Amino acid sequence: MYAVETLDLAIALFLLLNLLAGLGRVHHGPGAADRMLAAMLFGTTTVAVLLLLAEATALPALRDVALLVVLLAAVLVVAFTRTPRREEER
Amino acid sequence: MTVAEWLSVGALALGAAFFFTGTVGLLRFPGTFARLHALTKADNLGLGCVALGLALQADSAWVAAKLALVWGVALVAATVSAHLIARYTLRERGGTGRAPP
Amino acid sequence: MIDRAFDLLLIGGMLGLAVQVVASRALFRSVVLFIALGLLMAVVWARLAAPDLALAEAAIGAGLTGALLLAAYRALQPAGEAGDAEPAALPRRWALVAAVLSGALVAAIGWAVLGLEPPAASAGREALARLGESGVKSPITAVLLSFRAVDTLAEVVVLFAAFLGARVVAEPLGRAGPGPRPDPAGGEPVLMPLLLRVTVPMGVLVAGYLLWSGGHQPGGAFQAGAVLAALGVLLRLTGRLQPVAETSPAERLALVGGIVLFSAIGLAGAGMASAVLAYPEGWAYTLILLIETGLTLAIALPLTLLFSGSAGLRWRGR
Repeated sequence: MYAVETLDLAIALFLLLNLLAGLGRVHHGPGAADRMLAAMLFGTTTVAVLLLLAEATALPALRDVALLVVLLAAVLVVAFTRTPRREEER
Repeated sequence: MTVAEWLSVGALALGAAFFFTGTVGLLRFPGTFARLHALTKADNLGLGCVALGLALQADSAWVAAKLALVWGVALVAATVSAHLIARYTLRERGGTGRAPP
Repeated sequence: MIDRAFDLLLIGGMLGLAVQVVASRALFRSVVLFIALGLLMAVVWARLAAPDLALAEAAIGAGLTGALLLAAYRALQPAGEAGDAEPAALPRRWALVAAVLSGALVAAIGWAVLGLEPPAASAGREALARLGESGVKSPITAVLLSFRAVDTLAEVVVLFAAFLGARVVAEPLGRAGPGPRPDPAGGEPVLMPLLLRVTVPMGVLVAGYLLWSGGHQPGGAFQAGAVLAALGVLLRLTGRLQPVAETSPAERLALVGGIVLFSAIGLAGAGMASAVLAYPEGWAYTLILLIETGLTLAIALPLTLLFSGSAGLRWRGR
């Protein structure tokens, strides 16, 4: 079973590299929507990393953390796209 | 290693490949809509593969069910997020009059 | 070997992100980087085998604070401007003074911490050893609601005081928060009702699960309250909850109920158990769960109202 846990960690490491590579998009933009896309990438990748860590380090509570991140990802996008601008309502 | 473990390894590797594809798409594709397209599909397929691979390693059916739940919620969240960001971008560019606020 | 590589990459990423959040000149870039920092922080707590903190960080650091920053950015952005507004920069010499002063402070604190003698018997070990006396199986909940209950009570009072303070400041301005969405029925993206139908019941379920979990595994009132607050933010932004100027009696009850309940049970402990904020024999689990339920509401409602910038919220379905 040891081999499989090492593999889980290796995949998590690869995904973390992926996430850090995604920072390039935050840096270059050009628009706010592109940066928001990068934030979505971070969210999904973090969920996968947490699920892998839950299995590899035998901490089942990390799956609850992953569930929480998934639920809150949508709240972030709604906060970004659905907040009215000041001029619109006042 | 057992058959389930080999399948699990395959699913995890496939998932990692999809995540890689999504990141390459986000970094290399021109234009917001193309990047949106690459990211929301590839990443969530990747998450599904990772969840499947982990479910094959899981000790109990409850763990597998929780993994399925996480993926299901992720799919709904990603679908709606892609929709919202696409509309936002369309409106930002002064798009068609057919996208109300 | 591979876990060492993972940890090193995580540490490097955290440090790089932290510098970028502060140093970046574009405001929106900093906001997104801050959200990424919160997510990575949750992974750090996961690596340190502290799922309680990972839960709290994911819910408050990445979720609620992220939503607050994004909404604030959007609300401040001028209507005609699509690009990334550059914030007004501080003159270079003042930035230098601030950097030197805060650097000196960090160095002084670091020096003081390095000089501390490691305690021979830490309170954490004693708490673990006496877990059986607390009535719950999770050591974190035991510390929060039994061994150091007075700290937890004070924290919730601080949150309530912060809400009152924000009301005092926001009232004369009359323009705090993201502003009401005029009509949820007209001009809404077609997928929004689907999102709410999935997320809201799931979120309530997850909050209840986390609350109940607190007794025997990571979870508890703070995490559950943060999830409920995030749902409140979602409903507020989609116009289901409309801001109003009056706090309803039910909202008042939820705001102070947790504190009153906690204090009442705590004071009763002086007579029925050994001390103030101690629980009578055999009742600890029931009372802790009751207090945690009250605290969940006393945490969720002020957070939602702080985001909303209003004194109260009123339901308005479609």
